[in-house]
Amino acid sequence: MFMSEIAALIVDDSSVMRKIVERALRQAGLPLSKVHEASSGVEALDLLKSERVQLILSDINMPMMDGLEFLRQLRSQDLAPDVPVVMITTESSEEHVKEAIVAGAQGYIRKPFTAEQVKDRVLPLLDLA
Amino acid sequence: MATPAREILQESAHAAHLDDAVDEVFRLMMGAPCTPIEVGVADSKETITAVIGLAGAMSGACTLRCDLQTALRMAECMVGIRPAELDAMVKDAIGEVCNMVAGAWKGKHGVLSSGCMLSTPAVVTGTNYQLHMQQQEFRIDRNYRFESHTLNVSIICESIQ
Repeated sequence: MFMSEIAALIVDDSSVMRKIVERALRQAGLPLSKVHEASSGVEALDLLKSERVQLILSDINMPMMDGLEFLRQLRSQDLAPDVPVVMITTESSEEHVKEAIVAGAQGYIRKPFTAEQVKDRVLPLLDLA
Repeated sequence: MATPAREILQESAHAAHLDDAVDEVFRLMMGAPCTPIEVGVADSKETITAVIGLAGAMSGACTLRCDLQTALRMAECMVGIRPAELDAMVKDAIGEVCNMVAGAWKGKHGVLSSGCMLSTPAVVTGTNYQLHMQQQEFRIDRNYRFESHTLNVSIICESIQ
């Protein structure tokens, strides 16, 4: 089956976590054409003004602008309409998940995670399951 | 009368939840178990300590303390490349491990899971220092073995609402 290549954006203030998330996406078999990185919500919004992506994965707990505020602004500014956003975070209570869904997230992965969990959450959002 | 948070934490302030949280993080992120040990973590020439602040239903901190070789090995397991020295990437890795341990620990306590927020990590390096808090409701202090390395993880509760 032919699968279009996907450009992804990983938003996390930790460069180590950005690498780990990228590795998990590759292990999940995602046909990645490019992986953009941003260390905050502000940087991610700025990047999305000039780059097109098909998938966004974002941490929540970040300095400057947290992941939920990034998500709200992303949706309100219509910067990446229809692009699925998956939150990857240590915050995993039902309240946090609900808050992320209300803000416009399509998926939620709790840290620590396995590549298999990333695959299970991400591929269905891209119709690749 | 005790608050719900205090009741829950008094019941489970024992080490089992922290042991489970530490082992879960190490198994999933580093592919190796991390088991409790009785012996203390020896002071070394350079100690690296990651600190995550806790605020809300419980105020305090989660700390992870280890020596340089342990920190280098943890970073290597996470990114797949052996760092040559204690650089920003190693500090970042140790901070993230501490962040995940704090998140996994509070996730095991319903009242803290949603009612307690985590700070972004701070990493301190140096020799012969200790973290002090104004007051201490309780402290869970545990030593662990990861491969041939040892590390210390503490949950220090300053106050419970």
